[in-house]
Amino acid sequence: MKSLILLSGLGVLTLLSEIFNFKRKIFPVVLLGLLGTIVLSAMYWNTNKHYFNDMMFFDNYAVAFTCLISFIAFAWFLLSQNYFNEETNLTDHFALILFALVGAVIMVSYQNMSMLFLGIETLSLSLYVLAGSRKNDLHSNEAALKYFLMGAFATGFLLFGIALIYGVTGSFNLQTIANYITLNSGNIPALFYTGVLLMMVGMAFKISAAPFHFWAPDVYQGSPLVITAFMATIVKTAAFAAFFRLFFTCFSTIESVWGNIIFVMAILTLAVGNITATYQESVKRMLAYSSIAHAGYMLLAILAMNKFSAGSILFYTAAYSVASITAFTVLSIIINKSNNEAIDAFNGLGKRNPFLAFAMTVAMLSLAGIPPMAGFFGKYYLFNAALQSGQTTIVLVAVLASLVGVYYYFKAIIAMYFKSGSDSSPVEVSFIHKLLLVLTLVLIFAMGLMSDFVIRLL
Amino acid sequence: MIKLVALVPLFPIIGFLLLGLFGKKWSKSLASIVGSGAIFASFVVAVGIFIELLGADAAHKTATFSLFEWIDAGKFSVAISFLIDPLSSLFILIITGIGFLIHLYSAGYMHDDEGHNKFFSYLNLFIFFMLLLVLGSNYVMMFVGWEGVGLCSYLLIGFWFKNTNYNNAAKKAFVMNRIGDLGFLLGIVLIFITFGSVDYATVFEQATHFTSGETVITTITILLFIGAMGKSAQLPLFTWLPDAMAGPTPVSALIHAATMVTAGIYMIARSNILFTLAPVTLEIVAITGLATALFAATIGLAQNDIKKVLAYSTVSQLGLMFLALGVGAYTSGVFHVMTHAFFKALLFLGAGSVIHAMSGEQDIRFMGGLKKHLPITFLTFLIGTMAIAGVPPFAGFFSKDEILAHVFEHNKIMWLLGILTSMMTAFYMFRLFFLVFSGQFRGTKEQAHHLHESPKSMTIPLIVLAVLSVLGGFLGLPETFHAKHLLEGFLEPVFEASEVRMLPNHLTHLTEWALMGVAVITMIIVVLVARSKYVKNNEVPVPESTTLKPAHKLVYNKYFVDEFYNAIFVKPINWLSQKFHSIFELQFIDGIVNGMGSLVVWTGRNLRYAQTGNVGFYIFAMVLSVVLILLVNYLR
Amino acid sequence: MMIKYIFYFLAFVSVFSALMVVVSKNPVHCVLYLIMCFFSIAGHYVLLNAQFLAAVHVIVYAGAIMVLFLFVIMLLNLNTQSEPHKSTWLKFAAAITSGLLLVILVGTLKGSETMVMPVGNPNAGLIKNLGNTLFKDFLLPFEVSSILFLVAMVGAVMLGKKEIK
Repeated sequence: MKSLILLSGLGVLTLLSEIFNFKRKIFPVVLLGLLGTIVLSAMYWNTNKHYFNDMMFFDNYAVAFTCLISFIAFAWFLLSQNYFNEETNLTDHFALILFALVGAVIMVSYQNMSMLFLGIETLSLSLYVLAGSRKNDLHSNEAALKYFLMGAFATGFLLFGIALIYGVTGSFNLQTIANYITLNSGNIPALFYTGVLLMMVGMAFKISAAPFHFWAPDVYQGSPLVITAFMATIVKTAAFAAFFRLFFTCFSTIESVWGNIIFVMAILTLAVGNITATYQESVKRMLAYSSIAHAGYMLLAILAMNKFSAGSILFYTAAYSVASITAFTVLSIIINKSNNEAIDAFNGLGKRNPFLAFAMTVAMLSLAGIPPMAGFFGKYYLFNAALQSGQTTIVLVAVLASLVGVYYYFKAIIAMYFKSGSDSSPVEVSFIHKLLLVLTLVLIFAMGLMSDFVIRLL
Repeated sequence: MIKLVALVPLFPIIGFLLLGLFGKKWSKSLASIVGSGAIFASFVVAVGIFIELLGADAAHKTATFSLFEWIDAGKFSVAISFLIDPLSSLFILIITGIGFLIHLYSAGYMHDDEGHNKFFSYLNLFIFFMLLLVLGSNYVMMFVGWEGVGLCSYLLIGFWFKNTNYNNAAKKAFVMNRIGDLGFLLGIVLIFITFGSVDYATVFEQATHFTSGETVITTITILLFIGAMGKSAQLPLFTWLPDAMAGPTPVSALIHAATMVTAGIYMIARSNILFTLAPVTLEIVAITGLATALFAATIGLAQNDIKKVLAYSTVSQLGLMFLALGVGAYTSGVFHVMTHAFFKALLFLGAGSVIHAMSGEQDIRFMGGLKKHLPITFLTFLIGTMAIAGVPPFAGFFSKDEILAHVFEHNKIMWLLGILTSMMTAFYMFRLFFLVFSGQFRGTKEQAHHLHESPKSMTIPLIVLAVLSVLGGFLGLPETFHAKHLLEGFLEPVFEASEVRMLPNHLTHLTEWALMGVAVITMIIVVLVARSKYVKNNEVPVPESTTLKPAHKLVYNKYFVDEFYNAIFVKPINWLSQKFHSIFELQFIDGIVNGMGSLVVWTGRNLRYAQTGNVGFYIFAMVLSVVLILLVNYLR
Repeated sequence: MMIKYIFYFLAFVSVFSALMVVVSKNPVHCVLYLIMCFFSIAGHYVLLNAQFLAAVHVIVYAGAIMVLFLFVIMLLNLNTQSEPHKSTWLKFAAAITSGLLLVILVGTLKGSETMVMPVGNPNAGLIKNLGNTLFKDFLLPFEVSSILFLVAMVGAVMLGKKEIK
């Protein structure tokens, strides 16, 4: 809760900085604030506090995800440092991002559906604007409009679902609803199930699971690169944490209702994400599809729905986000240099800047799930959780899908090391980016080696 | 020394890290000293372990050392721990020993290459993963090593990455290996489901409670064998290995002849109890091995690239090893792995020396008469050729003979085919040998001028390996000689559980002598044929561009035997091997493999059109999905 | 009895006006129909004894937001001609799907009419009770929504203001 207040305060502070003219100093303040958020929320480990009439519940799940989100946000700010240097609406960007983080934190710690809705809306509304923040770029405008239209549609479904569930149970509280299900099992009206499924649709949209994923490639590609990075990491993590929290606390006992549907959804997502990614020439768009594919893997945790799920989903989102941040950092440096986001821009990077190429390779290998990178263990724990619940089929599909995944991740690696591009001038990397890349690389390896520690948190 | 086992993989990884981090700034000699030194240090420890094991009594021949728990999820736990037993100690000895020699050789061979230091760092990394594969005490560690050596092999095949063909070869190797890896991975998963553990000790202990031929064991072993097929280049996943010769020659010697490709054999030998319990799989292994051996040998007959010949011969010899495993002769299989490592490394290094002298020329049609110019290479290559052809008492003779004897027990027809294979082996190896070393030099003047013996750092490994190829066979003398089969005694604890389940069916000494006799006599005939063809008549395979002229044919008419031989033996097989190569291998097998890839890409291309960019369509799809979901719920 | 007829009347008006919003070609007509729809929904609120909500609904939606809408439409000078042409195929598909959605929703909700609903406080919609709920039970969401509005404002300003160089 303190972290939430700190984040909101930080957001307001950035707005004030515009008025009182200290906006040049706001960048380090925000970084410090994010570190503070991590510390503040980590202090609540094992306290399990309920807030304001059970609106929020800071259990270890919430604390862990708050820390994760704040950390990724920290890394993200380092990544987008030079983007902001050129940006005129500096404080607006900062404020929107920070408020989006507030939404994300609410989404991982809510205990009441009204809070879930507010969290999602706060996050989404900031992003609608941020996606369109390049006002002179048609693609950016298109992305914002599409995201907004489709997002509004999905919100409609979500809200409808919440309303139906409220109608049956008379409560927004997750625990009360869960109790209602156990008390009335076998006697629950169809209205309730419809509500559950409609909420599922709304959440599936947010995590961009097929067939509700159509917005993702267009929006990811059209948005400014750093915003895409934000959406692919923080938004995805928060949305998934919210999805899982909802289903784990509330609907885990009625798996017969949604199990098969999520099963099909997971297969579709894995197939669409991985297969379409193979044909992309733009790295940005490829990463967009890969992020869809990763949503498919994450769905396995929801299908598993056992005591391993929470830990594995934490590990997976962490591994995925860190690797994605690395990939986006390299991509942003490349785009800055050559103004080209196609895979050709990576040609010969192994010669032009071996460190960057190495970082990208590690990120790609981690995303592809090659040991000993963190991504392998993420997949491994997810598959393990699913196998524990007897979900063998979906694990087989996921393994096949990850084999397809290897193909397109390696395209980038091959381009970097085995092809030579027209431009062979060395690529410069700023100090902050170097720092960030070293940090993420260490994390990717460390998480692989100490996967056990992370997984035992939850 | 046994307690220091962790040092064995530690040295190479330190070497890799040093070379990887600072190698760029180092001089070439420093890099080669660090790279070779790291492997040498491992080798010393490995020797120490080996000697200590030799002295240990039966109860102390197996030891496990855990470093730390790596993964611990529910029932599933994996420890980083090393297993030392006769089998793994033998393998680490081969890996570090031959690895060291090849490092030494590379110092000379790669001396003028700009990627010299990078090359050494890759080699060290490879040795590290290979040791991990062999030393791990559970299947997950083996898998990590397995993937690691695959990665290194990929990096090293594509080492000269400026050439697109080499890159394609690297990619091909990687993809084919992934197919095998999938089988291996599924096998591990099934092992865990069946036995509740991936630890060798637990799995093999529990496996003894299963009866022979149970479906689940058969499935597991088949999956494991698919993994072995990919890594050890067996039908139908073997095409990558000949292409992999694109890498520098030391790589071919180390990875694609002596060590990595034998990982599949190690895996089966390690899991011998599982395979013994699955007779069906054993039969499949034997048939696949034999088919591969025969098939690759026929192709070897028609190749003109010195490394390609050796590559096909490697595939063929690997097939022979699988044949041995398939008939339950695990010791013989491992024995052949060892001797093969000696003489095949020798042959590859010798070939490297030849290529080095020929300034990069690999086509044997442009060689010849190199005997004078490369005396050491000539001698050592001759020993290698005799060893692989099975000339007694060189190493290959004993191991091959032992395998064939076991095959004879198992199935007479298989034995016959095995003899046929080894005849072909002898033929193409001596054909290669004669074409390269005897007769007149057929290359350009410039090359002739440049011919020279290789530097010491290259010839010393050749000499050491030649000595090993001569002596290696005496580790496993056949029973007929009334000598102790040293290797069998040493490996006994590993295969104990399997041996009690196998039929103890020993051949009489007379039969054994007869088998040996047949093998030697056929071999001698074949060598004589090759000699008359390539030495007496100076025959050279025709260049690709020319077809045989009538006049040319007439010259041959003098030798009726040759014509006859050509007509009924060489030509059909030539034709067949070319057809196999062009139709079966290039079109059919490659077609299937590439087809899968293109299918995915094609689907990707078409699926992309669903992304129309039209919001109306997106929302339409979304609502339609919602309708479907609710409908499913309604009908539930 | 009377309430029942009023309900049916209001329900008819809201469904009809909502349909007309979609069907009308003239954007100004659309907005006017939307206002009508809002009014009829406000009527529903009154029927449910939630006068405050009804009033707020009329003031905020029908009053403020719709007037803004009208201004924007008039400023942009949208009319029948400038409406982009939609392919018949899409119209057809949209009609079919939304029809299907309707059928399915009705199908799934059917049978719920006999359900025993948890009986809430019938006076929950009165200002006093509403205030109590909002500032006691739902204090946190109430405050968090202020962040939501702040985001909306900042966003609107950011998109609206000129690029300063």
